[in-house]
Amino acid sequence: MKRYPCSGCSLLCDDIIVKSDGLFIEEVIGACLKGKERFDQVSAKNRITSPMIRKNNELTDVSWEEALAKTVEIIKNSSAPLLYGFSNVTCEAQKAGMDLAREINGFIDSNASICQGKILNKAKSQGINLTTITEIINKVDLIILWGANPAETIPRLLNKVLFSRGKFRMTGREIKTLIIIDPVKTASFRVMGVRDLALIIEPDKDVELIQMLKEECCSVDSIPSGGVAGLDKNDLKRLLLHLTGAENGVIILGQGIIQPHANYDLIEELLDLLQLINTRQVKGRISLLLLGGHFNMAGFDHVALSSYGVSGKLQFENKKLVISEDTIISKINKENFDCSIIVGTDPISHLPHSLSSKLAKNPLILIDNHKSATSHIADVVLPTAITGIESSGLVYRIDQVPIELKKILNPPNNIPSDEELLNQLIEKLNGGAK
Amino acid sequence: MEALNNLDFLLNTIRKIDNDQAKEYSFGNEQSLEENLAIAFINPKDFDKLNLVPSLHLKISNKQRNIVVKIEKDDNIQEGIISMPVSIWSNQLTEILKNELVYKNIVVSVEATREPILKFKEIIQKIRGIE
Repeated sequence: MKRYPCSGCSLLCDDIIVKSDGLFIEEVIGACLKGKERFDQVSAKNRITSPMIRKNNELTDVSWEEALAKTVEIIKNSSAPLLYGFSNVTCEAQKAGMDLAREINGFIDSNASICQGKILNKAKSQGINLTTITEIINKVDLIILWGANPAETIPRLLNKVLFSRGKFRMTGREIKTLIIIDPVKTASFRVMGVRDLALIIEPDKDVELIQMLKEECCSVDSIPSGGVAGLDKNDLKRLLLHLTGAENGVIILGQGIIQPHANYDLIEELLDLLQLINTRQVKGRISLLLLGGHFNMAGFDHVALSSYGVSGKLQFENKKLVISEDTIISKINKENFDCSIIVGTDPISHLPHSLSSKLAKNPLILIDNHKSATSHIADVVLPTAITGIESSGLVYRIDQVPIELKKILNPPNNIPSDEELLNQLIEKLNGGAK
Repeated sequence: MEALNNLDFLLNTIRKIDNDQAKEYSFGNEQSLEENLAIAFINPKDFDKLNLVPSLHLKISNKQRNIVVKIEKDDNIQEGIISMPVSIWSNQLTEILKNELVYKNIVVSVEATREPILKFKEIIQKIRGIE
């Protein structure tokens, strides 16, 4: 039995005990439901273990040689390739993807840009206080879940940060106050105790709450008697006292807070509020933790920054990085691409119909290890090993801490890792030389 | 088919561990996909306002498209909100605003219907332009 990190989600729990003979996984101890599902994917019935090409509207098993030849043909016929996904692969594979994008003069972006990467991007101008899981465990006395439901998205997060005893705290859960701000009473509400604060906010009224908190930051006496955004005055007073009085607080942000609005920018409003609180806070500070589900959603920005000097999306022309105002959304929406290479994600499921239908109009190459809605559209499907079980590599945890994933088993049919496959494609495109 | 009752709601898409598309694609089949993802949750008071009964489905429409899904009562959902797990069904109604994706608070019109649930294959055909 050995200890391995789990690639079931972005928490990358490094305390999972796996019993394996190198051929099969016999037992997994300590994983949550998502982690268990990750390990079960090795033998999942919808696992893809052979490359496929769409022939007569049906995906058909073919040899690697034929699949790679078809892939190279599609890429060579393209003048504006789009590469997207890369949050469920290692940093090494992300780097290989960026190198491929440079080689074929493509545009590359990750799922992070439509998720928590948006917050980091907006924080470039005004700064952001981030924190780590270890710091939350050891120091935090206030945890706020805002539009976030970790009980169902990152199941062991609250177990680690809320119920744990910290190095600098003599007690654990007893001194940690939990506040949840959400229009839905999610599963995360079930861990709340008597001294915690449940704020069921009216839908789409977060901005009213933030603006009130900004205005009243120094004075709890002037909160409107009727409350704000469906929240009671006394609850608002408690929220404000916790925000300004915590020794070390963290706001865990989910998808609920990063939605765009026609007349204001909720993320900027929230970052402003945090700056204001941290300027006036006398006892401690409030930090942010950004919830992103995919196990290496945080990695893409780090790799882009270290490899090409910019974070996020990259556009290449004449094999050089160029400045582009485009985003993955605008690229697809304007149909400014003529083929797509999708790596480890399922955009046909997770993008709005207006985008998925445009993505489906052009040849689509899918690199993934299981079937999805995108495989129903793909022209070529190239399977890869399951990262963190059948291949190793570096990934970044939810709190931007690097973790090394380890290989436990060999993949079936000698399937390559994402990194190996992307490098093979570069070689093929170069006629054999990388 | 004649609408039984028609109201405006805010659609919120959410991640739920028991209604997880990644799990269904890995381990399930089209039937389990439809069972677990072609589903919407509403407050019991809204359920009554819409004259819903368990045998009826819900047609949810935005300005461009509509879907028909199963409906379940959920006390945890506020009145006026309809909640759906993130999936290919909910994303037939999600939108784009200022080059960003809108997954929450989308104004939709809702009506009870006897129409069958929208099939996964039908959605794929629509995405491929085969309506």
